[in-house]
Amino acid sequence: MSDVSLKAVRKSYGVLEVVHGVDLDIKAGEFVVFVGPSGCGKSTLLRMIAGLEPISGGEIAIGGRVVNDVPSPQRGIAMVFQSYALYPHMSVFDNMAFGLKLAKTPKAEVEARVREAARILQIEPYLDRMPKALSGGQRQRVAIGRAIVRNPKVFLFDEPLSNLDAALRAQTRVEIAKLHAALDATMIYVTHDQVEAMTLADRIVVLNAGRIEQVGSPLELYRNPVNTFVAGFIASQRMNFLEVKASANGLELPGGRVLALNHAGIAAVKTLGVRPEHLLLADAGNADLSGVLAVVEQFGEYALAYAELPGGETVTLKLDGAPALEVGQDVHMKLPGEGLHLFDADGRALR
Amino acid sequence: MKNQANPWLTSNLWVLGLGMLPAILLIGVLLYFTAWAFAFSFTDLALVGRKSVEWEWVGLENFQRLFTRRGFLESLWTTVIFVFFSAIVGQSVLGFLLAAALRGTRSTLRSVVEVCIMLGWLLPDIVAAFLWSATTAQTGLINQLIIRPLGLPPVNFINDYALPVVTIANIWKGTAWSYLLFSAALDSVSREVVEAAKVDGATPMQRIWLVQLPIIRPHIATNMLFITIWTFTYFPLIFAMTGGGPGRQTETLAVFLYNQSFARGNLGFGSAISVAMLVIVGCLSLVYLRMLREPK
Repeated sequence: MSDVSLKAVRKSYGVLEVVHGVDLDIKAGEFVVFVGPSGCGKSTLLRMIAGLEPISGGEIAIGGRVVNDVPSPQRGIAMVFQSYALYPHMSVFDNMAFGLKLAKTPKAEVEARVREAARILQIEPYLDRMPKALSGGQRQRVAIGRAIVRNPKVFLFDEPLSNLDAALRAQTRVEIAKLHAALDATMIYVTHDQVEAMTLADRIVVLNAGRIEQVGSPLELYRNPVNTFVAGFIASQRMNFLEVKASANGLELPGGRVLALNHAGIAAVKTLGVRPEHLLLADAGNADLSGVLAVVEQFGEYALAYAELPGGETVTLKLDGAPALEVGQDVHMKLPGEGLHLFDADGRALR
Repeated sequence: MKNQANPWLTSNLWVLGLGMLPAILLIGVLLYFTAWAFAFSFTDLALVGRKSVEWEWVGLENFQRLFTRRGFLESLWTTVIFVFFSAIVGQSVLGFLLAAALRGTRSTLRSVVEVCIMLGWLLPDIVAAFLWSATTAQTGLINQLIIRPLGLPPVNFINDYALPVVTIANIWKGTAWSYLLFSAALDSVSREVVEAAKVDGATPMQRIWLVQLPIIRPHIATNMLFITIWTFTYFPLIFAMTGGGPGRQTETLAVFLYNQSFARGNLGFGSAISVAMLVIVGCLSLVYLRMLREPK
């Protein structure tokens, strides 16, 4: 278990800079998730920590030791790859034992450590099988087992669940969370899936275009996103953004109604953000927004209603249960008292 | 699977037969020549003279001659050396090393090396043979450029070191194939698997030896199968460079077969040689095909 610190870490390929100076401190034992759209530099960052990608600038330290020029095996890390990256010509046992054998670990200890990891992951019955005789989920466990036997200070996961089907992904997610609790190890996990980020992370690092947008616990990011990017990226239903005009007594909403609001920086507000689950259905009389229902998606436990406002914007509502709504009908919505997010012209949140 | 053939076709045997004719002809011709060589290996058929018409069955005499007379066993040994050093060691190992070294680099160096080795491959055998003879002869390029300026007496490489020169020429000529095949094979090894080995602490040599080579083992076996068979029966380059000489130093089985059958006119004996070559290559193929099988 060890802390990881990044100081002004940069990565460029020739003249193209893809990671622009990332500063981050990861505490020992923490589960940190890097999340962001594809091409945001999250995998590159992880690979730089792993030592698979040279660093163009800055400093990476693991357990207090600067590892910029330390080769991967000596960094005390273990990595789980997206494609599992099992050695196809070796049995499960040999896959897990490979690193230990290379390090000339005594045979009895190799045996003991592989057995122990296999027990934790419940893959003992498959130790003699070849990887191609395993299912995707089993391969994933072997890949994690290979990381565990190295007894690393830091675990690195590079989108480990993206090759699994939905049901297995949810199950494995829970298992990784359990594993983190059991091993009490520092884990850095890269994903583009915000559900994985929300459920697994102690802290989430939201990356966009090679920069950190925000670092915080899942609920912090959910409640107080610092800008429209984070606000739009975190949570399963994307936040609604409404263009508003600040006036003397509040904000003029699309459709012409004015939302009375007291805020010191109200003059700078350009965008109002509200999450679909916070929007409320209302009567025509007391509504803030009105539109025509374009699509309804019924999930049974909840429904998503997409309403088209007169200005052409679409607003998403998340409604509990199975509301009786018909496409084409008018919908009237009320903004909640809490859970409104105000953003200025640059997309920065106004507190 | 159910028989999906057109009912009109299956009920018209004549039409069916007509459609199969090209295939039947092709297979027939192949069988005919093999059977011909096999049958005449038991005769004393000659290319010219009385024995070319009044040949007789001589039983196993030709096959006995393979082992009792000088020539065949010496040629077999020459061929084994030639195949081992030019194909297995030279082309295969050099091709693999080049493929492994240039893999992932997108440099001018790679393009230059690729063009160079492809040139060797694309050049017609006879032209290549002429170039190599001219270069390695007493008055050739190597002597003019290297040996003489050093103040040493000129060496007639093609005469004094015939087999090594022919071997090197064949390496130069054939490496492109192995390089291309191994390049493609190495590309099929997932990058993440190699990186996993790196994180596991494998040195570059261990990554090649313990991870990449075992993964591409079927490709290696296929490549060995091809180049062994080709090199074993390879004829034009050697024949054009040395004609099998000096003496019999470079008389591989293919050259020996040619000399016996067409220079001396012993078609019967020549057939026996070709049958023997077929058996040897067949056995080698079996070995490689076993290698192709996946381990249990």
